Amino acid sequence: MNFYPIFLREMLIFKGRLLRVGYLFSNMITPLLYLITFGLGLGRGISIEGISYLMFVVPGICAMSSMTNSYTWIATSISVGRLHFKTFDEYQVSPVSATDIMLGEVLSGVVRGLFASSLILIAGAIFGVGFPQSPIFLLILVLNCLIFACFGVISGFWAKSHEDTSTFSNFFIMPMAFFCGTFFPIDKLPEFIKGFLYFLPLTHASNALRASFLGQEVNLISVGIMFAIFAVCFYWGVVTIRRSNR
Amino acid sequence: MIKTKELTKHFGQIKAVDTLNLHIKQGEIFGLLGPNGAGKTTTVRMLNTLTLPTSGMAEINGLDVVREANKVKQIIGVCPQELNLDRELTACENLRIHGLLYRMQAIEERITELLEWCGLSSRAHNLLNTFSGGMQRRLLVTRSIMHRPKVLFLDEPTVGLDPQVRRQIWNLIRDLKRQGVTILLTTHYIEEAELLCQRVGILSYGKLIALGTPEELKSKVGHFVVESIDDGVTNYRLFDSREEAYKFAEERTDDVLIRESNLEDVFIKLTGERIEK
Repeated sequence: MNFYPIFLREMLIFKGRLLRVGYLFSNMITPLLYLITFGLGLGRGISIEGISYLMFVVPGICAMSSMTNSYTWIATSISVGRLHFKTFDEYQVSPVSATDIMLGEVLSGVVRGLFASSLILIAGAIFGVGFPQSPIFLLILVLNCLIFACFGVISGFWAKSHEDTSTFSNFFIMPMAFFCGTFFPIDKLPEFIKGFLYFLPLTHASNALRASFLGQEVNLISVGIMFAIFAVCFYWGVVTIRRSNR
Repeated sequence: MIKTKELTKHFGQIKAVDTLNLHIKQGEIFGLLGPNGAGKTTTVRMLNTLTLPTSGMAEINGLDVVREANKVKQIIGVCPQELNLDRELTACENLRIHGLLYRMQAIEERITELLEWCGLSSRAHNLLNTFSGGMQRRLLVTRSIMHRPKVLFLDEPTVGLDPQVRRQIWNLIRDLKRQGVTILLTTHYIEEAELLCQRVGILSYGKLIALGTPEELKSKVGHFVVESIDDGVTNYRLFDSREEAYKFAEERTDDVLIRESNLEDVFIKLTGERIEK
């Protein structure tokens, strides 16, 4: 096992960017806009399933934000490193294994996703919805980051150009951000769409995050499905990295 | 140290490298010379395990580059053509990550020693995006030898550098030779191949068309060149001795240039094309 240098490199880059003025702010702006528009503006006075809409939407935005941040950070880092700066060649000629690369990249995606989610939770707390109490919440959040960091690796390798990663993002990540129970409960949707959404990882993430956020019982099947998706994607990522080395 | 047998790489219909046979001895600086697109980088990429050969085989220190790729990676250093250092990290951090990738011991001591060696000690904690092209190139060479490889691949190490920086890089390369590192250097600069390399292989369209010491190659085609312009086209005529060249020049009525031949003349003689286009 030698994933540490890969993880360290991503962390050093992340640290460098955090120190740059404006980076933090520009990363906060999109989820904050969602939070203000839907939570405070549109959702004011609305309650869903007996709770205030703000309570409903904070875990949803948390799920969305952890997804996009884990995914985008890794997908961009890998596709740019492979195609533009060729920094990825440095890994490929060194004696680290595909599993090491995968593990290092995915863990750095988790840090990135957790960072973004914690900003949302802080904002939510400021708006008065409080912090999540259950440790299950953290577990599911980490699992969600793991899944989408894996997707980030896979799409970063699959991309033939930098634009390809945003194509994948537009067709896969963005629809999930809106439909997977993040902003409204999926029960209200027609049956055939519901059936389809059940196969998407973010549906399970936002349901489980919300349940644990509200102190309700978490559906263990959702957690199981997320574990299974993560395991498959991790393996898929390792195979993708191994094949790319040729 | 490096051995290839009928090494071949096709990209679709294009034969990037065509049945290449090389044998590079330990401690030697071997130059692969050829114009852009001759197959130099593809050869290097096959040897450093980044590209799979279509057919043929290659060995480094007796290790097969395909079957024993992981062992090969431990003993080679690769200095690519692109400046692929991390721009958002400092010089020190770039080297540290490299050391960790190779599971090195005493990384910090080695970093201090190397930054001194390449003359970048004062910039150790500066971000790479504040470095000039020449400084980045020096650090790139330095990084490639950090884990003390037995074999070093230098792919166009001085491309796009000004003459002064080129000389700095050449001094670093000569120092590595003194340390006993076997070096495969690709270049399309004639002067570089002549100055640094003990033996040179000339590639054209993926084929090795000449192999030998720079002296041998030049004596094969003639030691003196007379350049003349006929109907607006520069012609090169090669002669074995100075006297023959003078004799030819005296018979001309227009201005001609007499000079000693170089590896480019060898290339022109063999292919009818120039290397440094």
